[in-house]
Amino acid sequence: MEDAGSAPQRVLTAKAAGLVGCTQCGRVHASGVTTCTRCGAPVSSRDGTSVQRVWAWLFAGLVVYIPANIYPMLRTTLLGKTTESTIFGGVVDLVHHGSYGVATIVFVASIIIPVAKFIAIAYLALSVERRVSLSAHKRHVLFEVVEFIGRWSMIDVFVVAILSSLVQLDFAAQINPGIAAVSFALSVAFTMISAQSFDPRLIWDADGE
Amino acid sequence: MSDPRPADMEIEGPKRSIWRNLSLVWLVPFAALAVTLLIAWQSWAERGARIEIHFENAAGVVPEETAIRYRDVSVGFVEAVEFSGDLTSVIVSARIDNTVAESLPADAQFWVVRPEVSASGITGLSTVLSGVYIEAAFEPQQGAEATTFEGLDETPLVKPGMKGTRIVLRASDGTMLTAGAPIFHQGIEVGRIETPRLLDSGTGVIVDAFIDAPHDRRITTATRFWDTSGFDVNVGPSGINLSVGSVAALIRGGIAFDTVFSGGSPVQSRYVFDLFEDESAARDSVFSESIDNAVDLVVEFDESVRGLEAGSPVTYRGLKVGSVKALGAFIEEVQGVQRVKLRASISIDPRSLGLAPEAPQAETIAFLAEAVQQGLRARLAAQGLFSQDLMVELAEIPDAAPAALGIFDTEAPVIPSVTSDLPDVAATAEGLFQRIDNLPVEELMEQAIATLASIENLAGDEDLRSAPGAFTALMDDARGLIGGEAAQALPGELTAAVGELRGIAEDLRAADMVGKLVEALENASAATETVSAVADEFSAATGEVPDLISDLRQLTAKANAMEIDAFVAAATDLLDSADRLIDSDDTRALPGSLSEALDEVRAVLAELREGGVVENANATLASASDAAAAIEEAAESLPSLSARIERLVGQAEIVVQSYGDNSSFNRETVSALREVREAAAALSKLARAIERNPNSLLFGR
Repeated sequence: MEDAGSAPQRVLTAKAAGLVGCTQCGRVHASGVTTCTRCGAPVSSRDGTSVQRVWAWLFAGLVVYIPANIYPMLRTTLLGKTTESTIFGGVVDLVHHGSYGVATIVFVASIIIPVAKFIAIAYLALSVERRVSLSAHKRHVLFEVVEFIGRWSMIDVFVVAILSSLVQLDFAAQINPGIAAVSFALSVAFTMISAQSFDPRLIWDADGE
Repeated sequence: MSDPRPADMEIEGPKRSIWRNLSLVWLVPFAALAVTLLIAWQSWAERGARIEIHFENAAGVVPEETAIRYRDVSVGFVEAVEFSGDLTSVIVSARIDNTVAESLPADAQFWVVRPEVSASGITGLSTVLSGVYIEAAFEPQQGAEATTFEGLDETPLVKPGMKGTRIVLRASDGTMLTAGAPIFHQGIEVGRIETPRLLDSGTGVIVDAFIDAPHDRRITTATRFWDTSGFDVNVGPSGINLSVGSVAALIRGGIAFDTVFSGGSPVQSRYVFDLFEDESAARDSVFSESIDNAVDLVVEFDESVRGLEAGSPVTYRGLKVGSVKALGAFIEEVQGVQRVKLRASISIDPRSLGLAPEAPQAETIAFLAEAVQQGLRARLAAQGLFSQDLMVELAEIPDAAPAALGIFDTEAPVIPSVTSDLPDVAATAEGLFQRIDNLPVEELMEQAIATLASIENLAGDEDLRSAPGAFTALMDDARGLIGGEAAQALPGELTAAVGELRGIAEDLRAADMVGKLVEALENASAATETVSAVADEFSAATGEVPDLISDLRQLTAKANAMEIDAFVAAATDLLDSADRLIDSDDTRALPGSLSEALDEVRAVLAELREGGVVENANATLASASDAAAAIEEAAESLPSLSARIERLVGQAEIVVQSYGDNSSFNRETVSALREVREAAAALSKLARAIERNPNSLLFGR
């Protein structure tokens, strides 16, 4: 594993060796064991429904991502004047106000990353089904990046949650989450589950052939 | 440990069908899709109907922000603000809730609510922070789904659905009329006026007004409107009267109304009322109401009509019956001499004269002609005590020169006039001041000072202080004399005598009055002689009276001869001792006893003078000898009375001598003595009368 990218040598997988590794604690069991003897997690050599689940969660994430962008994210009431802003509308407003930095952060965290995640997960899922070819290393990197960065998409939801709970000054100023906040949180959650559902061992299998 | 060796291959069966292998996880995206579609459909369905409102301008209206409100509830939002094709108006597109849009009639009113500061208050304050909003007002009409509306430029006075009556006010000018000014009734705001506008003819302004229900029931044809703007100052005999309406009315103007007479009928919407300048004008207007049936007359005056003007009232016994319409002058040629006469055209309301409101003019003129025959004349009169304003007064002058209502074909009937005696207040006041000016005030003051100095001297005199006691004693004597039985008995005896006479007269009258009267008169000459004999005795008795009078004169002469200088010298200390003098009981008793004494004297004299004698003048001469005897008997008391008076005067003389210098009491005494002397004179007059004309005693004349 230490030099997987540069050495295209064949590796012996547990499956090939007739063993099964627990994905939770790492203990190796003999083939046929269904429950980890150490941690009690279910053990299987390959998850047959993994790709299916990835696709299902991915679709769910995509579906709820649409209202997240159409409906208002924040409902700001300032001195009786209510303004509703969608995610993209908020970015445009920030740019108009000259806060390019913040606009960039919001834009990246709320639009670039989720969209990129959808593409990445779809690409991975497709690649393990051998519809597209990609080097095993790149696939691994992509998977790691998706797993790592996915949680940062929640930054928007956190901002909304914190603002909504802090800024409740009655008439003077009030911030309430809109429908989009829920949608967006769901979308992020669904894509994370989608990424989690992906069985990385399928990458090795795809490499091996 | 052996090397790891590959485990046995696990052989899996053939892949199962994709549908059999389908994970339950697929439910999640479908559920998400379903929920999302549901939300999308809901928001599309709730989007509301799109309406368009045309405004002159769209100040403050912001797309996506400005709300549409109905009854202060938000029912929609403005979606877009754009120009009409020819750029002449602004089209505001808005989404309205479906429930509202369903019953939105085409005449719904929309206007932009903005903050507004006026004299009557601040409105739309909430829009300062929240921005303007569009207010809608309409009467819901199910199924009328109108989508295009004309917006109003300003808040309408009357919103659809408000209950009340719309009326029109007509005024000569609109200075004090501002849109939204309140209308008061008994001090309560019951309505508002709209923006005044000029009449097409340009001769006045009219303004729409709205009276809220249920106060609009108060509006009848008998209602009068007047302006309450500003303040009203009246200076009258009761002082200055300043009346100020509400502050809002002061600044924005206001209108009040009241029903000034009973019997008005309800009015239709848009009934036109006249707006009067003030309340009294409004109330007076009742009298000139039926001006369409007025009778025009002409009055010609010789005198100046300064102060009379068009609109001056025409009164009849103080009641306003008409007004002056015009004034003019014309030249009249009488016997070759040209004279300028002034002519006033007046119009008279027949109703205020008590004639039927629909009476034809000829009937009114006939009535007036009849009244002129009876002495009805026109004359000028002042409207007030100090007023220079004149009015025409129709007055009945009993001793007026005969005249008739001059009826000519070409002009109005001429009602004859008389010259009035207008008081020239200014001239009278000037004369009064001149006379005051001419008064010798300074001399008067000097004399007064000198007199006071003399009184001061006199009051300090010791003799004066002792005088009241002596005088009271004198008065007591006088009272004793008058209250004496002889004096009291005298009238009684006279009365008794006359009573006898009367008794006999009545007997006579009962018997045969007329018949015996001739006989009585025949006896009169005989009786006269008897009476004159009696009268001789009587004059002998009263002969002492002149002595009494001469005594009195002496007394007066003495009193007059008293040394005034001594009084003046003594008067310096008078004021110092005046208090003491006035405090003394004697002084207080003095006027009482004096007046009592004098009253008694007067009573005695009155009884003497009248004592039933005159009333019993129907006495017959048949009993004249009885009467003469009685009179003689009565007259016998007179000398004794005179003697007592003489004694009284003698006492008085002594008293006066005892404090010889006292001029003040002297004066009192003289006046007392003058009464006594009058008594004596009356006695002698009585005697003389009886002597000269005995019949007067008998017939009471």
